[in-house]
Amino acid sequence: MVLLKKDFINMLIGASDALDDKIDEFSDIDSKFGDGDHGVTVGRISKVIRAKAESSPEHETLSEMFQTLGKDIMNVNGGSAGPLYGSIFEGFGEGLQGIYEANEAAIKSMFAGALENIGLISNAKVGEKTMMDTLIPACETAENSDSPLPQLLADIAEAAQQGAEYSKQCQAKFGRARFHKEATIGTMDAGAYSLYCLIKGFSTAINQ
Amino acid sequence: MMKKFINDPSNLTQELLEGLTLANKDIIELVRGNLVVSKKLKDADRVTVVTLGGTGHEPALQGFVGEGMVDIAVCGDIFAAPGPESCFEALKLADKGKGVIFVVLNHAGDMLTANLTMKAAKKEGINVMKIVTQEDITTAPRADANNRRGFVGCIPAYKIAGGAAAQGKSLEEVAAITQKFVDNMGAISVSLTGATHPVTGGDLAVLDDNEMGVGMGQHGEGGGYKIPMKTADDTIALLMGELIKDLSVTKGEKLMCVVNGCGATTLMEMLISYRAAVRYLEAKGIEVVANIVNELLTVQETGGYQLFIARMDDELLSYWNEPCNTPYFKRMPTMK
Repeated sequence: MVLLKKDFINMLIGASDALDDKIDEFSDIDSKFGDGDHGVTVGRISKVIRAKAESSPEHETLSEMFQTLGKDIMNVNGGSAGPLYGSIFEGFGEGLQGIYEANEAAIKSMFAGALENIGLISNAKVGEKTMMDTLIPACETAENSDSPLPQLLADIAEAAQQGAEYSKQCQAKFGRARFHKEATIGTMDAGAYSLYCLIKGFSTAINQ
Repeated sequence: MMKKFINDPSNLTQELLEGLTLANKDIIELVRGNLVVSKKLKDADRVTVVTLGGTGHEPALQGFVGEGMVDIAVCGDIFAAPGPESCFEALKLADKGKGVIFVVLNHAGDMLTANLTMKAAKKEGINVMKIVTQEDITTAPRADANNRRGFVGCIPAYKIAGGAAAQGKSLEEVAAITQKFVDNMGAISVSLTGATHPVTGGDLAVLDDNEMGVGMGQHGEGGGYKIPMKTADDTIALLMGELIKDLSVTKGEKLMCVVNGCGATTLMEMLISYRAAVRYLEAKGIEVVANIVNELLTVQETGGYQLFIARMDDELLSYWNEPCNTPYFKRMPTMK
């Protein structure tokens, strides 16, 4: 199977739906060790994703679509989530450079691009209770899985879920939560959770 | 239950910025929706000052835009930093040929955005130097200052930078002066009652009737510790003791002292606390030569204050005493 632009558009809508579904939960988790507005920010990011899905001009390539979307996300004025999610999407776009029909190799490149780009602004590793708990395992699975599409995306989403679950047992080392130190153990990281939901949304859209 | 005079929570920031601009039409204007710009910027022939931050803290940061302090404040959403594009536009607008000082508070969102902005600015060839404020002493030791949060200290820093710029100092000079000032300041917070997030309505912090929180953050992120309620004088003794220890302040030194009300603390309490602060320092042979006792950077309706000190000398005092005219801090030319 190859994914065409219309499939990626469905993936973006799937991601937006998945995020919209859990807005209150995101804020709830964030209120434990932050100011409880992760849902508000993710809601804004979701709107921007949907807007791009609904209005990407025909001539816009996959790479251009993700890179311009990344820039839009970066500027939602939502604290850390803007730059972080924005970098991920810009990275997706960089990984899809020159690709018009995406096969398994293209998906691997897409996720590798995200990891590389966010690495430019964040040095968080797995185990520090951040979005990276979700992203790094997802990208590793993208790289190593032999599954064909669409199963490949399901594998990636599965790794993302396990990563988000793992973030529960970590102590926060970044962001505002880190000031609560050991008290953060036992609660999932809000960003790790929302990123998992987004990736799951991608997978659900094409694994129907 | 949150009880605030607001309309639709999703329009909070827009409405508050419009209100601020309407109330101070001769000093500031609102550009591109979230840039609060000094009307003196247009004709500026000096180093200019740009800053960024979320709204929800009052009157910071946009309340200090005007002659002698901040030239452009880039406003994000409630407690949320703005994106890099507006910051980049602000830097472009602010560069009048003598360079720009970009003051950034050390919080994750602000720093992420600022670093992306600096990257874009350098690429564009904008002459900008970044100053990070990170003076909260409770989150990490001074040797690990990159893990310290930026509290109220940015406000005096704006005044110092603005004053040095007004005296015609070069970009490198203003940066060095401001950096030296921010490297020699410290702040610590004490809270009695929590506040609510104006958009979500959630509690930012919860404290029992009889406890106070020392070193809690500005957005509900906690940190610090809780202890039983003390008197005003005993609270100051505790807080000031920590501050002068952290900064290794010795007898004979001169300090700036700020009592920054966090929103629900009365002026009466701030003044009683300031009295205690001056007397505590006097007893140790330390003189307070500059001060502000007011709400500069609140946390919505938090009961409590941030106690702030900074090393002062005659040079810094001359920048501090330069005239300025912003919505919430003004200094007359004749005041010495």
